[in-house]
Amino acid sequence: MNFGVIRALVDKDIRLFFRNRFYAVVTAIALVFYLIIYFVMPPAVSETLEVGLYAPVLPPAFESIQTAEGLDFIEFESDESLKQAVTDGQYDSGISLPDDIMEKFTAGEKPQVTLYFSAAAAVEIKDTIEVMIRELAYQETGQPLAIDVSYNILETDLIGEQIPPRDRLRLMLVIALIVFEMMGLASLIVEEVEQGTIRALLVTPMSVRDLFAAKLIMGTGLAFAQGLLFMSIVGGLSTQPLLIITALFLGSILFTGTGFLIASVATDMMSSMGWGIIAILVYTIPAFGIMFPGTITGWAKFIPSYYLADTIHKASNFNSGWGDNWSNLLIMLGFIALVVLLGIMALRRKFR
Amino acid sequence: MAENAIVAEDLTCWFGDLVAVDHINFSVAKGEILGFLGPNGAGKTTTVKMLTGQLKPKEGKALLLGMDVASNIERVQAKIGVCFEETNLYQRMSALENLSLFASLFGVKDFDAYALLKRVGLDGREKDRVENYSKGMKQRLMVARSLVSSPEILFLDEPTSGLDPTSSEAIRNIILEERQRGATIFLTTHDMLEADKLSDRVAFMNQGKIVALDAPDNLKQQYGRRALKARVSDTDGKLQSREIDLDTPKTAEAVQNLFKEEKVVTIHSEEATLEDIFIKITGRGLTE
Repeated sequence: MNFGVIRALVDKDIRLFFRNRFYAVVTAIALVFYLIIYFVMPPAVSETLEVGLYAPVLPPAFESIQTAEGLDFIEFESDESLKQAVTDGQYDSGISLPDDIMEKFTAGEKPQVTLYFSAAAAVEIKDTIEVMIRELAYQETGQPLAIDVSYNILETDLIGEQIPPRDRLRLMLVIALIVFEMMGLASLIVEEVEQGTIRALLVTPMSVRDLFAAKLIMGTGLAFAQGLLFMSIVGGLSTQPLLIITALFLGSILFTGTGFLIASVATDMMSSMGWGIIAILVYTIPAFGIMFPGTITGWAKFIPSYYLADTIHKASNFNSGWGDNWSNLLIMLGFIALVVLLGIMALRRKFR
Repeated sequence: MAENAIVAEDLTCWFGDLVAVDHINFSVAKGEILGFLGPNGAGKTTTVKMLTGQLKPKEGKALLLGMDVASNIERVQAKIGVCFEETNLYQRMSALENLSLFASLFGVKDFDAYALLKRVGLDGREKDRVENYSKGMKQRLMVARSLVSSPEILFLDEPTSGLDPTSSEAIRNIILEERQRGATIFLTTHDMLEADKLSDRVAFMNQGKIVALDAPDNLKQQYGRRALKARVSDTDGKLQSREIDLDTPKTAEAVQNLFKEEKVVTIHSEEATLEDIFIKITGRGLTE
């Protein structure tokens, strides 16, 4: 390898990339735009459910719910004002106890408890509050459930530590940001072929190895630098920074190799953009699945970026370390070797 | 005997059923300018690609400065400069940046880009982006780029194609200066006059084969018809043309009679052009 030659080629590619107005502007705009999206999203998740309560008389069994974890009861002066608050969307749900609730219990009659729900209230909330009221009524009438319940959170207990939506989105944003550079690199290579400059390079003593090394450094460097900058600004490196940086670096190489593949099949700038968009969509699927759990299944593991997304997600949101992620990194290395090798072979063929 | 800079031995290349270059043999001496002529599709570009290491010959071999091109690509390419027919410069870079890049690729130390750009008449525009250059300026920059490493062999493909007379003349002067420096020049061109003016020898290529290779004067002598062409004035003052073949036993008598019997206004010798010779040899024109 001739490092002087590689340096000259990288320098040339960086100049050309930033002098291509489209990619230079889109790169800058994407970075700023993604940062704005991140910072305007809520920084925390409210884990307390606020429920309106009108209770002129509070039966003893009902008093316990006021100290229940995750529930915050807001008391109202009248049934009417509670109803209005729920109608106005201040609260998703409200419980209105009748004035004669104790008398009815004593008489063995059924008191009429009214539950109010806003149109936006989730079905789960409706069911939960209804079950809770029934359970309290049983307790009040001396018929508690004849079972003891214990609960165990498997894996990481996120109670009190729910991942804010913006931190789930952070993963999606960083992958979208670095994967975009794959398209920029592919366009640069296609432009070299279209304008014939690659022929001019190939009649110099520069070796093809040096050429690919330069492209790999340029593509990886560009993607990695942006990913790193973004993660630093949004605080994505506050836990397991070395692991996240390693994952970002490997991801950047993976996307650069994909850029080679795109450049080898693209015939012009437009087709390189077309292929690039398809690759971007595929590569962001795993991050989408992490943002919205349950939307993807095991097949996503066939997408190489899954291991990047999974590592960054676990490391940045759950502080999971090298021990938990070594297999992800190893699989990513395997994908990198495959994609980069295929990309170089296909491009070599195209250059000839 | 002069040392050879370029040797083609049975050089052959085909693409599927099409034989682009068919067992050609030739050599170019060091310091010589060889004009390489032929119509489109004759196999000129394929030959140049094999000589410059862009394409591996299917049979035969190319030797540059005594080195087999196929097995010494990088060493050979360090000694050559190539100027392509189509403009393939980095358009979003300046002339200075283009030349500096190639100087780095050739490992040229202490490269003076300003001096080279001045030599091709681009001084004052060194820092302008190439996309803002005229065609002539781009072509001159292409020639400058091929000279970055002071190559021992220079391959020039249609270096003056489509240029104005001033730019063409500037490039021709550079070619002659390079020959003066000792460089060997392989000049591919359609311009017969240019080939005639610049080349020590010319090679005609047709359908993948070299059909003639010699000095332009020798080819003209061998294949051309020598004649005298005169314009004479008749009794009414009207101009008429007369032609006398120079290669017959009665030439001297015919010339005497012309001056005795007619009022000669102008007289000059007429030589065959390279184009005429090419047509005579191959039965087709160079631009077909």
